[in-house]
Amino acid sequence: MLVTAVLAVPLAAGALAGALPWRRAVGWAMVLANAAVLGLGIALAVEADHHRVAGGLDGALRADALSAFMVVVIGTISLLASIQSIRYLEAEIAGGEHGARHASLYSVLVEVFVACMLAAVLSANLGTLWVAVEATTIATTFLVGHRRNDKALEASWKYVLICSVGIALAFFGTVLVYFAALHVPGHATGASVLDWTSLMRASHRLDPGVVRLAMALLVLGYGTKVGLAPMHSWLPDAHSQAPAPVSALMSGVLLTVAFYALLRFKAVADAALGPGFTRGLLVIVGLASLLVAASLLLTQRDVKRMLAYHSIEHMGLIALGAAAGTTLAIAAVLLHILGHGLAKAVLFLASGEILLVEGTSEIEKIPALLTRRPLLGGIFGFGLIALLGLPPFSLFVSELNMIRGEVDVGLGWAAGLSLVAMAVIFAAVMAHGRHLLLGGRRITTPSATPRLVGIPLVGGLVACAAFGLSAWPLQPLLDAAARVVVR
Amino acid sequence: MTALLATLSAPGDPLAARIGISVLQVACVLVGGPLLLGLMAKIRARAEGRTGPPVTQGLFDLRKLVGKEAVRAEHTSAVTALAPLVLVASAAVAVALSPLLTTRPVLETSADVFVVVYLLLMGSVALALGGLDAGTAFGGLGSSRAMTIGAISEPALLVGILALAVQAKTSNLPGIVTATLAHPGWLASPQRILALVALVVVVIAETGRIPVDNPSTHLELTMVHEAMVLEDAGPDLALVSAGEAMRLGLLLALVANLFFPWGVDTSASGLGIVVALGALGAKTAAIAALIALVEVSTAKLRLFRVPELLAGGFVLAVVAVTTGLVTR
Amino acid sequence: MRSGTALDLVQLASGVVLAGAVLALWRRDLRALTSVLVLQGAALATLAAVLAVEGGDVALGVVAGVVLLAKAIVIPSLLARVVRRDPGSRETAPLVNVPASLVGAAGLVVLSYLVAGRLTALFPDPLTRLAPLGLATVLIGFFVLTTRRKAVSQIVGLLLVDNGVALTAFLLTAGVPLLVELGASLDVLLVVVVLQVLATTMRARLGHVDLDQLRELHD
Repeated sequence: MLVTAVLAVPLAAGALAGALPWRRAVGWAMVLANAAVLGLGIALAVEADHHRVAGGLDGALRADALSAFMVVVIGTISLLASIQSIRYLEAEIAGGEHGARHASLYSVLVEVFVACMLAAVLSANLGTLWVAVEATTIATTFLVGHRRNDKALEASWKYVLICSVGIALAFFGTVLVYFAALHVPGHATGASVLDWTSLMRASHRLDPGVVRLAMALLVLGYGTKVGLAPMHSWLPDAHSQAPAPVSALMSGVLLTVAFYALLRFKAVADAALGPGFTRGLLVIVGLASLLVAASLLLTQRDVKRMLAYHSIEHMGLIALGAAAGTTLAIAAVLLHILGHGLAKAVLFLASGEILLVEGTSEIEKIPALLTRRPLLGGIFGFGLIALLGLPPFSLFVSELNMIRGEVDVGLGWAAGLSLVAMAVIFAAVMAHGRHLLLGGRRITTPSATPRLVGIPLVGGLVACAAFGLSAWPLQPLLDAAARVVVR
Repeated sequence: MTALLATLSAPGDPLAARIGISVLQVACVLVGGPLLLGLMAKIRARAEGRTGPPVTQGLFDLRKLVGKEAVRAEHTSAVTALAPLVLVASAAVAVALSPLLTTRPVLETSADVFVVVYLLLMGSVALALGGLDAGTAFGGLGSSRAMTIGAISEPALLVGILALAVQAKTSNLPGIVTATLAHPGWLASPQRILALVALVVVVIAETGRIPVDNPSTHLELTMVHEAMVLEDAGPDLALVSAGEAMRLGLLLALVANLFFPWGVDTSASGLGIVVALGALGAKTAAIAALIALVEVSTAKLRLFRVPELLAGGFVLAVVAVTTGLVTR
Repeated sequence: MRSGTALDLVQLASGVVLAGAVLALWRRDLRALTSVLVLQGAALATLAAVLAVEGGDVALGVVAGVVLLAKAIVIPSLLARVVRRDPGSRETAPLVNVPASLVGAAGLVVLSYLVAGRLTALFPDPLTRLAPLGLATVLIGFFVLTTRRKAVSQIVGLLLVDNGVALTAFLLTAGVPLLVELGASLDVLLVVVVLQVLATTMRARLGHVDLDQLRELHD
C-alpha cells in the first residue's frame, strides 16, 4: 500500500501539472508531492528497519532496506530540485523565452522522470527494473533539450543515442541472466524468474560462463547510464545543457539509480561466480572514470561542465567501493550516494542561480562571487568543500570508509591510485573555485539572494554535514541496505 | 604406380570411362565458355535494340587468332610466352576435376574446394604477371587493378563454397553435389541463400563483367582485364581468350551444380552423361542470361567502389559459413 | 522445436536478420537502410510467431504482433520520413571505409561465434545454437554506430543493436516476460520518435543532419 502510494504521488502530481496552466501554486504542489515522496520513503525505511519488506501492486513492487534508502535519496533531491524549478520557470516566463505551456510540459516531464526512477528502485523484478531505467532516458531527453538551442540539441542527441545503446546492452545482459536462471533445475518458470527473491535463491546455481558474459554486458550497459568510462561521453554535455534543476536530478540521483541496478546484479553474479569477476570489472571502469575526470577537469571553462566531470569522478569512486563489496564498503557506497546527491544537487542548483543572475556559466566571467553575492558564493563554496570530501561533510566519512573497505579486500593499490586521482581533481577544482569565489579585483556592493533559493540549498548542505558528523539515524538503515546485496 | 591407379579408379567404373568423361568436360567448357560469352553479348545487344554478333562469334575469333602469326613485344621474357599456357592449363585441370557432368570425375578424391580455387588463382596470377612483363603502362595498370579485385574475390569464392562444405560436412566438390542431391530441403537454408549471393558477386568480378569491368570497353580509365592483355596477339591472345572463357564457364557451371545439382550424372552411364550435358547447358545458359540482363540494367561501378562490392560478397560468405556452423 | 519446417523458418529468419546487418554496412544509400529494417523487423516477427505457434504461447503471439507493428512498420516509416527530407543523401565519408568495415564485420561474425560457445554449451538446442547470429548483429550495429556519421545511419546502428538483442532473446529464452518485452518494444519506438524529432529540428535549425559538423560540445 505504502509502496504503491510512493509511485502514485508523483504521477498524480504530473497529471495535475498537465491539467492546469502553470502558475506558482502548481509549482508548490510539485514541491508538496516530492516532500510526500520523501515522507513515504522515510516511512518505508522505518518499516525496513523492522525487517518488514513492504510490497505492492500484486507483488510487482517491493521495498527492502536498499529500495527504501534509494526512495529517500530520490525524495530528498527531487524536493530540492522542485523548489528551484519554481524560480527557474518563473524567470524563464518573465524573460519571455518560453510560455506557461512550456512550463507545464516541464513539470509533467520532471514528475514522470521522478516516477520512473522510483519505479526502478521499487520494482521487485530485474526485468521491470530495466524497463524503468530505460524510461528515464526518454523522460529526460526533452528536459535536456528544454532550452532548444543548437548546443542543447547536440547534447540531447548524444544523450539519447549513447544511453539507448548502453541500455540495450544492459537488456542483453538481463536476457542472459534470465536464460541462465531458466536452466537452473527446479527453479521457477515464467515471469517470476527474474524476481529478486527467487533469483537470489537460485543465484548460486546459475551457469558461471553465461553469468560472466551477462555481467560484462551489464557493467558496460548500466555503466553507460551511470556515466562510467568508457561510455561517459554523453554525461558532461547532457548535464551542462539541461536546466539546472534537471541537471541536479540527473547528476544527483539518476546516475546512482543506474548504479543501484548494478548493485543488485552484482549480488546475483557474486553468488554465482564469487566476488572476483565483478570486482575486476568494477575496478577497471572505476579507475578509468577517475582517470578521465582527473585529466579533463582542469581544462573546463564552464561551471556546469566542471560539476559534470566531477560526477564522473564520484561514480568512479562508488564503483571502486562496490568492487570492495564488504558490508562496510557497501554501506559507505550508499552514504556516498546520498552525500553526492545532496552536494551535487546544491551545486547544480546554485550554478543555475548563477546563470540566472550573471547571465553566463563561464568560470572566467564570474569572479569574486563571494564579495558580490555573499550567500550564493557561500553556498557554492561550502558545496565545493563538501564535494571534495572534506570534513565535516558526509562525503569525507564515506570516502574514508570506502578506502578502508578497499584495503580490507586487498585493493589497496586501487585505493592508492584513486587517492592520486582525487588529489589532481582537488587541485583542479580548487583552482577553478578560487577564481570563481575570490578572483578578480572588482568591488561592488553585495546583492542579496532570494530566500526561495537560499533556504533549501543551505538546508541541503546542513543535512550533508549532519550525516557526516553523526551517523544516526542513518546507520542502521545503511547496514540493513548493504546486507541486502552482501551475503 | 598401382596405388595411384587404385585411387584413380574407384571400384565399379573403369578408369578409362572416367578419364573420358573428364576430357569431355574440358572439351565442353572449352566450347561452351565462348558460347556463353556470345550468348551474353547477344542478349545485351538485343536488349539495346541491336542485332549483335552471332552467339558463335567467340569460336570464330579463336579460330582466326590461332591462324595468325605469333607477335610478341620486344624485351619480353619467357613469362609472356608461358602465362597464357599456364592460364589455360590451370583452367583445364580445374575443369577436369570439378563435378560438372558427373559426380565421379577422374581424381575424384582430389577435387577439393581448395584445389579448384587455387588452380583458378594460379591462372589469375599468371595472367597478371603476363600483363606486367611487357613493361607498358597499360599492362601494369591492368594487372594492379586485377590483383586488387582478386585479393578479395578469391577468398570470397573460397569461403562461399566452404559454406556449402560445412553443410555437407565435406570439402570435396563431388561430395557436396552428392549431398545436395540427397537433401533438396537444403536449398532454402539461410547459408545457401547467402552463399549464392556471395558467389554471384564473385563470379561477376572474376569474369570481368559489368559492374566491375566492362568487357567491351577500351577506355583506359575504366578497363581492367582488357588492359592486361593489350600486348598479346595471335595464338597468345587465342590462349588467353580461351582460358578466360573456360574460367567463366567453370564458375557458372560450378554455381549451377553446387546450388541446383539436378541432372548431374551419378552413375557414369552413357545416357546419364547425355542428360547431364543438356542439363548443364540449360542451367549455365539460364544463369548467363540472368547476368547479362542485370548487366544491361546497371551502370559500371567506379573502380574504387569495386572492392566494396567484393568485400560485401566476402562478408556474406563469412556469414554463410557461420550460419552453417550454427545450424548444423 | 518439434517440426522441421518450423526450425527451417527460424533458421531462415535468423539468417535474414544478420544478412540485413551486413547489408546496412554495405549500402551507402540511406534509403536502402530503411528497407533493411523492414526486412529485419519482418524476420523477427516471423520468428516470434513461429515460436508462439510451436509453444502454444499466446503472450508470445501478442509480442509477435507488437514486433511486426513496431519494428517492421512504424519505425522504418519514421526513418523514411527523415530520409525523405534529405533526398539523395548517402553515407559519403564513414570513418572506416566500406571495404575495410565489411572485412571487419566478417571478423566480428567469427568473434561472436567463438564467444557464444558458452551459451550453446549450457543448453545445446537447435535454437540456442543460432545465438551467435544475434550477437553478431549486435556487434555490427555497434560498428555502424561508431563509424558512421549521418544521423540516420546512427539511428540504424542503434536499431541493429536492438534487433540483435531481440533475436538473441527469442532464440535463447523464447522471449523475455511479456511485460518486459512490451516495455522494450515501446521504449525503442519512443527512442526512435525522439531521435526523429531531434533530427528534424536539427535539419530545420542547422540545415543538415551531419553529426561531424556538431562540434560545439567537446573537450
